[in-house]
Amino acid sequence: MTTLKEPVLTKRIPTHPFGDPADRKLVTYDHYVKTDGYKGLANALAMDPKNVVELIKAAEVRGRGGAGFPAGMKWSFLPPEDGGRRYLAINADESEPGTFKDRLLIEFDPHMTIEGIAICMHACRLDTAYFYIRGEYHHQREVFENAIKEAYQNKIFGPGSKLGQINGRDPDLFLHRGAGAYICGEETALLESIEGKRGWPRIKPPFPAVAGAFGRPTIINNVETLAICTPILERGADGVKWFQSMGTQRPDDAPPHAPASFGPKLFGVSGHVNRPGVYEEELGITLKDLIEGLCQGMRNGKKFKTAIPGGISTGVLSTEDYEVRLDFDITKFDTLGLGTAGVMVMDEDTCMVAVARNIARFFSHESCGQCTPCREGTHWMSKMLSRIEAGDGTTRDLDLLLEIAGSMGALPSGRGATICGLADGANWAIRTIVNKFWDEFEAKVSSKRFVSLSVVGG
Amino acid sequence: MAWIAKNSATMQIDRRDEPYLTLALKKQLEDDVIPRYDTRMAATMPALHLVQDTHGWLPHQAIEEIADFLGLPASQVLDTATFYEEYWLKPHGKYVIWVCQSLSCEILGQPALINKIKTHLGIEVGETTDDGKFTLMDVECLGSCGTAPCALVNHKLHENITAENFQSVLDALE
Repeated sequence: MTTLKEPVLTKRIPTHPFGDPADRKLVTYDHYVKTDGYKGLANALAMDPKNVVELIKAAEVRGRGGAGFPAGMKWSFLPPEDGGRRYLAINADESEPGTFKDRLLIEFDPHMTIEGIAICMHACRLDTAYFYIRGEYHHQREVFENAIKEAYQNKIFGPGSKLGQINGRDPDLFLHRGAGAYICGEETALLESIEGKRGWPRIKPPFPAVAGAFGRPTIINNVETLAICTPILERGADGVKWFQSMGTQRPDDAPPHAPASFGPKLFGVSGHVNRPGVYEEELGITLKDLIEGLCQGMRNGKKFKTAIPGGISTGVLSTEDYEVRLDFDITKFDTLGLGTAGVMVMDEDTCMVAVARNIARFFSHESCGQCTPCREGTHWMSKMLSRIEAGDGTTRDLDLLLEIAGSMGALPSGRGATICGLADGANWAIRTIVNKFWDEFEAKVSSKRFVSLSVVGG
Repeated sequence: MAWIAKNSATMQIDRRDEPYLTLALKKQLEDDVIPRYDTRMAATMPALHLVQDTHGWLPHQAIEEIADFLGLPASQVLDTATFYEEYWLKPHGKYVIWVCQSLSCEILGQPALINKIKTHLGIEVGETTDDGKFTLMDVECLGSCGTAPCALVNHKLHENITAENFQSVLDALE
């Protein structure tokens, strides 16, 4: 059952069940303003910046980029102003396989994001914003560049901006074009990339809020996180109540400081479903409702086998988890989290060994090479899985695979062996696939097609 | 793969008299790009993009010119250029076909698709056709999973492709 009463992020972007995606067209500045656009910014400007941060904090907006970190809390980590530059970096480096939700916002309703950017700059006293868009989004980049031009013409940014001067400077929004590197979606790698260097994640602390781009305080937020601030501010003080009327409450056994999963969320569904695409729903919709309701069921009447809840880094769900609730507390189903909510659905015919091989290849291709466990481990796993898939694996390989996967990552599950979370993604993805579909792997390695001399590695 | 070392120590650099980073490009960077950032180094990526968009690829001479212009060692600019997949350090065909090979595309038929393209063009991934028209590349997720399989031909994204309809797309290109 779907529960969202009215579209929020997709208010101007026709999306099932409220509209037909065939009717989608670019929302220009004029169209945006006519449909209550930039009202949220006006409300924010009438408020003290600190109160805007408090409002977002009270609403418990969690970051939509993957980690689910409370946005208001991130904003409040900034040190006091000292007159120097302070930056906002917007993460539009949407490269996680299965994720294509920000693309929708950038391509059709860029001003919603721009309004969110302006609200954040006002609230956190940030004078310069960089919109880091991935290199492969060529059309989206052109659309967004035009939208930025419109925003300058209408005094959202630049001299005489509605925001006034921030830190003694005219607020600016610039687009920074990436060049095809998954790792630049990691926040500190993104900053390195803005600075003109290779995208190698930085060791934290210092956190970007203290020393980020060019060594100055920097806030980094996902496109959707900033876009969702707009409708909250549009409703002013009622925004908190409105936002929390959607989504799921904090679980009963959770400590009070643990954030709940409130609000609407974009879900990008791909794979073996009849109607893949981006849908907007409240957090907490079940996977079953998402597939059978919005996506009109599995393709060709096949049975559900598994799904990846939010981009391949989050690992897979088991076949029994068909009715799992998609909210930020999904970790209890032995996944890394909701991630980006890019749901990949796979049917009964999918070979999990091939899926694991594809995922391992992705991570080995995208590892930046800075930390040894990830640089070597992802390649080792990729080679092993190719070999297993070709019919040349042994049972020992499976144990070794789990051991390699479990020895890399920044989280305790990866022994804190790496700087950033890329290896955690590889770790969780491979471990959950092998553990949850062990029989399939075992069948593959026990029916040997040929025996080679390479027992380990490749 | 970003981190594989590329041999540049013993390489001979082809040079020409005419600079790649022309005065007009320098002016454009100086006026529009450099004021956006706190350091000149931060203009590295926009400068590389600009030269690549103008010339199609990044000859080593152009890397040196960019380094000179930004006041950086050439090795620093080369370091950045080699890290990112989209920068071409060697020439490529008129049309570059980037076929997405990530999970959604693979489970919806990318392996058969890329084999058909390989046969049709008579090249392997990473190669250019003899007439210099097509270069075939595979790439990780293009962010179009809902309309998989997908491929980029230069800057244009093609979605929901099949071996047949993609062949007619390629045939229609001049």
